[in-house]
Amino acid sequence: MAGWMAAGVDADDRLDFDAARHVLRSTARRMRPYRGTAVGAVALLMIWTALLVVLPVLFGRAVDAIDSGNREVLNRTIVVYIAITVVNYFLWRAAIIGISRTGEAFLRDLRRTVFSHLLRLSMPYFDREKAGVIVSRMTSDIDSLAEVVQFGLQMFVANALLLGAVAVVLAVLSWQLFVVCLVSIPLIYVASRKFRRDANAAYLQVRDGIGSMLSRLQEGLAGVRVIQAYARTDIEAERFHDVNHDLFQSHMKSTRVAAWYLPIIDMSGVGTTALAIAVGGWMARDGQLSIGTVVAFILLLQNLFEPVQQLSQLFNMIQSAGASLHKLYELLEEPVEVAESSEPVVLSGRGVVEVSGVGFAYNDGVSVLADVDLCIAEGERLALVGPTGAGKSTLAKLIARLYDPTEGNISYNGTDLRDASLESLRKRVVAVPQEGHLFDGTVRDNIRVAKADATDDEIVAALKRIGVLERFEGLPDGIETEVRERGSRLSAGERQLVSLARAAIVDPGVLILDEATSSLDPGTESIVEGAMEALMANRTTIVIAHRLTTASRCDRIGVVDGGRLVELGSHEELMNLDGAYASLFSTWIGAQNPT
Amino acid sequence: MRRHRRGIAAGMFIGLVWTIAKVVVPILIQRSIDDGIRGDDSLLGWAFAIAAVGVVSGIATGARRYVAFQNARAVEADFRDQVFTHAQRLHFGFHDRHQTGQLMSRGNTDLQQFQNFITMLPITFANLLTVVLASIVLFARDWQLALAALAGLPLANYFGRKFSQNLHPALTAIQEESAQLASVVEETVAGVRVVKGFGAEQLRFDALAVEADDVRDASLRAARARANFIPALEVVPNIGLIAVLAFGGHKVLDGDLEVGELVLFNIYVVLLIQPLRMLGMIVANFQRATAAGARIAALLDTPIEITSPSSPTPLPQGGDDDSRSIGRIRFKDVDFAYDPTNPVLDGFDLAIEAGESVAIVGATGSGKSTVARLLPRFYDVDAGSILVDGVDVAEADLEELRRAIGLVFEETFLFAASIRDNISFGVPGADLATVERAARLAGAAEFIEQLADGYDTVIGERGFSLSGGQRQRLAIARAIATDPRVLVLDDATSAVDPTKEHEIRDALQEVMHRRTTIVIAHRPATIALADRVVLVDGGRVAAQGTHDELLASSELYREVLAHDDTELPSEDGAP
Ligand SMILES: Nc1ncnc2c1ncn2[C@@H]1O[C@H](COP(=O)(O)OP(=O)(O)OP(=O)(O)O)[C@@H](O)[C@H]1O
Ligand SMILES: Nc1ncnc2c1ncn2[C@@H]1O[C@H](COP(=O)(O)OP(=O)(O)OP(=O)(O)O)[C@@H](O)[C@H]1O
Ligand SMILES: [Mg+2]
Ligand SMILES: [Mg+2]
Repeated sequence: MAGWMAAGVDADDRLDFDAARHVLRSTARRMRPYRGTAVGAVALLMIWTALLVVLPVLFGRAVDAIDSGNREVLNRTIVVYIAITVVNYFLWRAAIIGISRTGEAFLRDLRRTVFSHLLRLSMPYFDREKAGVIVSRMTSDIDSLAEVVQFGLQMFVANALLLGAVAVVLAVLSWQLFVVCLVSIPLIYVASRKFRRDANAAYLQVRDGIGSMLSRLQEGLAGVRVIQAYARTDIEAERFHDVNHDLFQSHMKSTRVAAWYLPIIDMSGVGTTALAIAVGGWMARDGQLSIGTVVAFILLLQNLFEPVQQLSQLFNMIQSAGASLHKLYELLEEPVEVAESSEPVVLSGRGVVEVSGVGFAYNDGVSVLADVDLCIAEGERLALVGPTGAGKSTLAKLIARLYDPTEGNISYNGTDLRDASLESLRKRVVAVPQEGHLFDGTVRDNIRVAKADATDDEIVAALKRIGVLERFEGLPDGIETEVRERGSRLSAGERQLVSLARAAIVDPGVLILDEATSSLDPGTESIVEGAMEALMANRTTIVIAHRLTTASRCDRIGVVDGGRLVELGSHEELMNLDGAYASLFSTWIGAQNPT
Repeated sequence: MRRHRRGIAAGMFIGLVWTIAKVVVPILIQRSIDDGIRGDDSLLGWAFAIAAVGVVSGIATGARRYVAFQNARAVEADFRDQVFTHAQRLHFGFHDRHQTGQLMSRGNTDLQQFQNFITMLPITFANLLTVVLASIVLFARDWQLALAALAGLPLANYFGRKFSQNLHPALTAIQEESAQLASVVEETVAGVRVVKGFGAEQLRFDALAVEADDVRDASLRAARARANFIPALEVVPNIGLIAVLAFGGHKVLDGDLEVGELVLFNIYVVLLIQPLRMLGMIVANFQRATAAGARIAALLDTPIEITSPSSPTPLPQGGDDDSRSIGRIRFKDVDFAYDPTNPVLDGFDLAIEAGESVAIVGATGSGKSTVARLLPRFYDVDAGSILVDGVDVAEADLEELRRAIGLVFEETFLFAASIRDNISFGVPGADLATVERAARLAGAAEFIEQLADGYDTVIGERGFSLSGGQRQRLAIARAIATDPRVLVLDDATSAVDPTKEHEIRDALQEVMHRRTTIVIAHRPATIALADRVVLVDGGRVAAQGTHDELLASSELYREVLAHDDTELPSEDGAP
């Protein structure tokens, strides 16, 4: 066949006995709803294989009947042959349908379960793991299972059974001749072992080659604008040629592996046939065997070598599927760090946010916040200012409970955030992040991210509320305009407006704006801010802004520096204090009125 | 394609040897049964003959496969190089309209289909030959039995073709649905902060659930095609075998046929089934490869709209570095629209002197970034013209033009490579001193030196491990390193905080010294870097002058900068 199924598994990923048992057990548990159909389908497959082996034997019987001139037996054999053929058609059909149904249902459930667990996992997990790796769990790992479901399993079961059944039948027909035919087994065994190892290594190399080629292709296409801007197309083409050529070499290596193995299996097959003819023929002449038995032997031998060759490839495939399952189960067992408490309290209304004695470190353990005490009254507007890396965004993320503080606690209306139900928390405390990611879809779809059941009217109203409706209605397709990959169809400011509209459509108790207007021109910004004024009225709001005019209009200002809240008070108070804020402000004012 | 022809011819020759060996083996088996076992020929001789042919056929199997794959992979690699190179040269307008994912599949799945087809060419030839030779042998033996045995076989061909035709759309659907599923996952992971911030988990889950159902449905469609045709294909040879037994068996009993010949017919029927099935599939495969090939060809034939003219006008060179007089820019009544219904620039007219620095100011969506994209000729203007040092950008050599203009995009894109490689992107092989100098001028040296690996730090996927401000500074350093005659900064310091910004500003003053610079900015402090401010509105220059002049004279300018003295809480003693 042209394309053989390549598969393989890394030495690190190969399952040891315990892991394999764990995988099998978990799979059996997850398969429970479909157990009936699955067992039934495999049973059908077994009957089918058994009958498949009977056919050459029947042919041999027919030859014997012919040899002995018995028309009666010949006719009866033919009828049985026809019957088995018909039965086998239906058996196989039913087996394929049964296996696919259960397999695909299992995969669908697995996809849903894994993704929903992924959505439950918390930010520390996403900080720790590379995005590419997370995505590959849901794509390449599940795909390698899909291959097994779609044909690997059928072929593995069928080939293994076929191999066993053929061996048994041969031994029963004539054990002497069978033993003679076994001479090529050691050769095949050694060759298959080596092949499996080489094919595995070659497969891994091809897989890596494909990976590098695709990521270079991807980077070249995603970065094409920068590449052209720097007139680097020739160099990039050269670099791509290199990985592409490496991939070609790996493909060729993998082809070479098959190129020596397949002939060996082929030759062993024909060689064994020749042997069967020589020895079997001699025995037949001697009267020890019927000529039909020799014929059945020759026909069955054709069935013996194909399964051997396919099994050694399938074995790699099953192994890699096992490794994928293992990784998926590991993901499912990944603990949810920011977890919901067992008796969650539903948050409601507007609220007081109290931060007491909070300290925090990201995964790397470096302290980012320490001893932060802060009480934000209901309806208050608080600005957080301070230099880059001070910890402003971090504090905001803690208040939205994207992370849990390592020390101290944060409460909403007196309820510790750890005790709150996550769903109500996400409704009550909404954070508009610094980088507002746009998803593929229209402007409208993107605003709807904040509120899944928002009607079109609500979306229009939200845009109107922040004073930018005309701007979007002016686009050729209005709010139905496709924003394209990461919003590239829109200007930088327009992207940020979409992200702000998300905040305007929800009705949270606490709204956190983390530099949500940094790409807007000051004019638009002040329109938006003015419009949001109404939105923020008697709603607790935390604004992180580099533009100190924005900050100065807030009720209170907190200055964060080096992970500590160093100053807190109204603009006037802090100016009178003549400390960090006052000096920040005067530098800034100086920059506003350059001479 | 042409240079791969020889390989294909070699593949066909090996296929010929392989076919003959395959066809000869059953004849030898028949002879050994009839003349060896039932007659009194030397059994050993026949057995040796079979083994010998087996060796030839085995070697031919390996060689045929090897040659077939070598050719197909070489063609694939060749085309992939072409796809990449061409896509790299295509204009921005093309890339605006085509998703990265679409282009990826040209260089990936489409090429695979093409490669599959080419791999199958030699074996198709061998298959055809097998069918012809085996039929000849069978008809020569006993035309009636041959007819009976082979009558059902065309069904294999028919089913094979039908199978492929049914399976393929389902496979394509699986591929498409899987890609959609992958993009839901990718986007969710990339935008996880937004998802968590708004509690949009359910929404994303629903999106995934739809895709998971679609993948399952498409997979079940493929499974149905398999269930319908694979067992049917298996029945076909059995029809032939039953005919051989029923018709041939009685013939032997009547003494018209030898037992060995019966076995021969049997083996041939089994032998023919695979080639016939594959011949059916190759028809469908051919249709598919043609479709994939057409898509690839469409990409490769897409004209590159923006190319260097055949005899480009060189940009004039300046004197020695101290007396730069190059970098003069002129936008002459430029009209431009991304799509014709929506004009962005409309009579945009602007002249910038060599060495001058100009700030472009305007509301969101007014077309500032567009102006920046037109200068290096990422798009062609619809009307009017753009001159750099008196040379129309359309007349200049594209590479020279783009080297002359250093543009820092508002969206920072860094490559997964070391910081050093990122900074020296436009000057491959630049020495460390150049890189360090560029980093210093962009205000990036300080944080880079604090990293454990310094300039050798590899920045990850989309450079995510750096803060927004840090990434912007690398992008500025990358532009400075090329020492362009015109530097364009498109809102390149928006993520840098104001306390750091003045450091960058001081550094930039050195870069901007005697270098034409265009800054697009919203912050007065950045605008103040420029000698002159240009206000864009309605696709044209609405006003220009110094910052103070515009503040005094232009209502619109005050509006865009939200300049309102009364709103600034006054500092003690300050105005
Ligand atoms: N996900 C993360 N993992 C590890 N460290 C992080 C992470 N996010 C931020 N940090 C580090 O924590 C510190 C505080 O970062 P934070 O984003 O809170 O600063 P910020 O005050 O918001 O700064 P900016 O004004 O630049 O937005 C920085 O040193 C930063 O490098
Ligand atoms: N690739 C594109 N295809 C179609 N329209 C576009 C494209 N890029 C920008 N536009 C549209 O062209 C107009 C001008 O966009 P441009 O990016 O030049 O604005 P800008 O002045 O840079 O705004 P900002 O200050 O928000 O960056 C906008 O209305 C935008 O929607
Ligand atoms: Mg921040
Ligand atoms: Mg812009």
